[in-house]
Amino acid sequence: MESEKKILERLSDLPIMPWTIGTMAWNQTGDWRYLTPVIADKVAPCAQSCPAGVPITGYLNAIRNGRAQNGLALLLAHNPLPGLTGRLCYHPCQAKCVRRKIDRAISIRQIERFLADLSGNVKIEKDIKTNRKVAVIGSGPLGLSCAFYLGCRGCRVVVLDPGDRAGGALVDLPPEKVSPELLENEIARLVHLAEIRLETGISIDFAALGEGISEADFVILDPTGVSAEKLGLAAGATAFDPFADIPVDGHVLAVKLPGNLQQFKASMIAHYIGAGYLTARKVLDRLVVFSGQPGLTAPNPHMRRQPVNTEDIKLEYFLSSDRREPAKSKEGKWEWERVLEEAKCCLSCGSCNLCLQCVAFCPDASILLDEDETAVAVDLDHCKGCGICAYECPRGVITMEAVSS
Amino acid sequence: MKKVMTGNEAAGIAAKLARVQVVSAYPITPQTTIVENLSDMIGRKELRARYMPMESEHSAMAGVIGASLAGARAFTATSSHGLVYMHEMLHYAAGARVPVVMVNCNRALSPPWNLYCDHTDSLAQRDTGWCQYYCADAQEVLDAILIAYSVAEQALLPVMINMDAFYLTHTSELVDVPNQEAVDTFLPPYTPSNKVDVDDPKTFGNVCGADLFASIKYRRHWHTLLLEKLWDSTAIKFADHFNRLHPTVEAYRTEDADVCVVGIGTAGGAMRLAVDRLRKEGLNAGSLRLAMMRPFPRVRFEKAISTVRHLIVIDRDVSFGAEGILAQEMKAFLFDRHADVKFTGFIAGVGGKDISAETTAGLVRQALFGNGTAVEAGTSFWTDVLL
Repeated sequence: MESEKKILERLSDLPIMPWTIGTMAWNQTGDWRYLTPVIADKVAPCAQSCPAGVPITGYLNAIRNGRAQNGLALLLAHNPLPGLTGRLCYHPCQAKCVRRKIDRAISIRQIERFLADLSGNVKIEKDIKTNRKVAVIGSGPLGLSCAFYLGCRGCRVVVLDPGDRAGGALVDLPPEKVSPELLENEIARLVHLAEIRLETGISIDFAALGEGISEADFVILDPTGVSAEKLGLAAGATAFDPFADIPVDGHVLAVKLPGNLQQFKASMIAHYIGAGYLTARKVLDRLVVFSGQPGLTAPNPHMRRQPVNTEDIKLEYFLSSDRREPAKSKEGKWEWERVLEEAKCCLSCGSCNLCLQCVAFCPDASILLDEDETAVAVDLDHCKGCGICAYECPRGVITMEAVSS
Repeated sequence: MKKVMTGNEAAGIAAKLARVQVVSAYPITPQTTIVENLSDMIGRKELRARYMPMESEHSAMAGVIGASLAGARAFTATSSHGLVYMHEMLHYAAGARVPVVMVNCNRALSPPWNLYCDHTDSLAQRDTGWCQYYCADAQEVLDAILIAYSVAEQALLPVMINMDAFYLTHTSELVDVPNQEAVDTFLPPYTPSNKVDVDDPKTFGNVCGADLFASIKYRRHWHTLLLEKLWDSTAIKFADHFNRLHPTVEAYRTEDADVCVVGIGTAGGAMRLAVDRLRKEGLNAGSLRLAMMRPFPRVRFEKAISTVRHLIVIDRDVSFGAEGILAQEMKAFLFDRHADVKFTGFIAGVGGKDISAETTAGLVRQALFGNGTAVEAGTSFWTDVLL
């Protein structure tokens, strides 16, 4: 941009109509600013309420852009058992969907099932395998989820189950709820993606866990995979509450869930997945302290993002739709067209989807789309901090903050 | 083709003949039939234009400014309260140098409520930077609108064509309507070299500091002064095409006049009749109708009064606490140039009262001999008032 000030010396230099004949770029008005627009994606109310912390708006956005496989990869990276949650979870995300204020919630359940049932190769982000070893005893949803995250973050993980079939408490569910075939497929995908080992029918000496699997840096006991009686036999194990804000102590961890989760409930599956994730995260923190290996990156930055303020979602920007009501229950699988139509109705709360309202409203042309058209950025040399962008952002992505220069 | 029509019909037909591309308007008596006719023409596709029914006169003017900046030939019409409601946008139009043409139907300002002829509405806008032209008959309304577009687009300044409420807007006369081909030859399409253009973005009406502000206003002042000459030369060109001349000043029997009566608008006809009568009475009278009021037509005015010893002006308006607005304009011109000319100012015909030949002759006699019914108020004399 031309930023030199034009000097007019003769009357004939002036245009007849008063208009700009240069630019005002030389006038760097950025130093007028008290508050700075900060453009940062935030966690949507749906994801805030998801016990597994799935970035739902992210995969809905991928679907909207016609990339269902990318959506599945994003879903799997946070929830490795979507085929099960899509059928069992009570979906608190839908109860918090802001779209309810306009017409009805996005049917996240149906979309999740659709994605989970997609076939084909999925690539998720993984770290290189290190020599850190973890053994998970029990292949219930908590143990599998914990194993999955640890596997993705470079640990060599083995899941040992004394039962004949993998799945822990899920195995006992009636087949009309979860067919054995579905359960098998979901677990197979999880094992394959995280590159972990799963062994069933293993005889485990619970009285001597520390010795029996001594090669492992950590042994984790899964309360959704092994019965309470057997866990009660475990000697030398430290009770570990994944939801409590305390670091890992000891190397044999008996995961102990809060009261409402102790009795296995299929509808609470996302809570077990979330608990498995939290366990893995704390174990990883401990492993990084042990080894300082750069391969073990901090998991899931999504969980650390700021939640979006529901009042910052500008409902006046969104029209009501004429989508069909989803059937109350037992509805069959949705077709791609219906999934796409549904995903298109997501308000994308807290996530910039390049609607460019900020660019259109900025009175000083100080919010610009970057060259590869993937993000918007504030021109801090000229932004006066008027705040119109934050006021107009339909999704609460832009906030005005006191930022020291 | 000759047709019987009202002044308002003539105004609508003129806008159509000028092939205006945008009409942005808000209705008000006595202007309503102008924009009604135009919306009919556009609705019937006789005129290819966009009709913008606005929510106010302020917005109507903003609409034509925007349309003109986008390169369209734009038209609007209003009257009285509508015009004064536009006041801010009138300044903007002239400052933005948009060549829009507006018809104003001169009507009294309330309260008390009055729909009839009075010139205070437009004369109170004399400082907005618009060229102001006052018509005497329906033919002149039609012709002046065509001349106005030519003048406005050459100068890049807006032109206001004024017509007396009801005396002109709603009175039917014989009007010669030129054919479209002839008008197209006289008035080619408006093709500005600079306009709002997404492919060449720039800011219009941008910020300007004290360093350049005076220069921009100074040049606009010069361009406005030049409108007098530009109108007269364009009017001559129009006369070449259509054989009708509409100068900035219409002088009648002024060549040897000692006394001259001056006014604007439809009163011009009565003033000519009065002059004939006064001449029969042995007075060396003449009359002047100022068609252009802004810029003040200095050249033709000065030429017309070269022999005059006593100027009598009839104002159909008043600047409260001062005197008639025409009187002020003329006094300002005469000061230091013709200090020897005697001057009498009357306020007559406000709120629609007819200014007849008898009225005019009576006022001249009162100015010359002192006997009459007009009463003194400051430096002017008011007619038709209760005592």
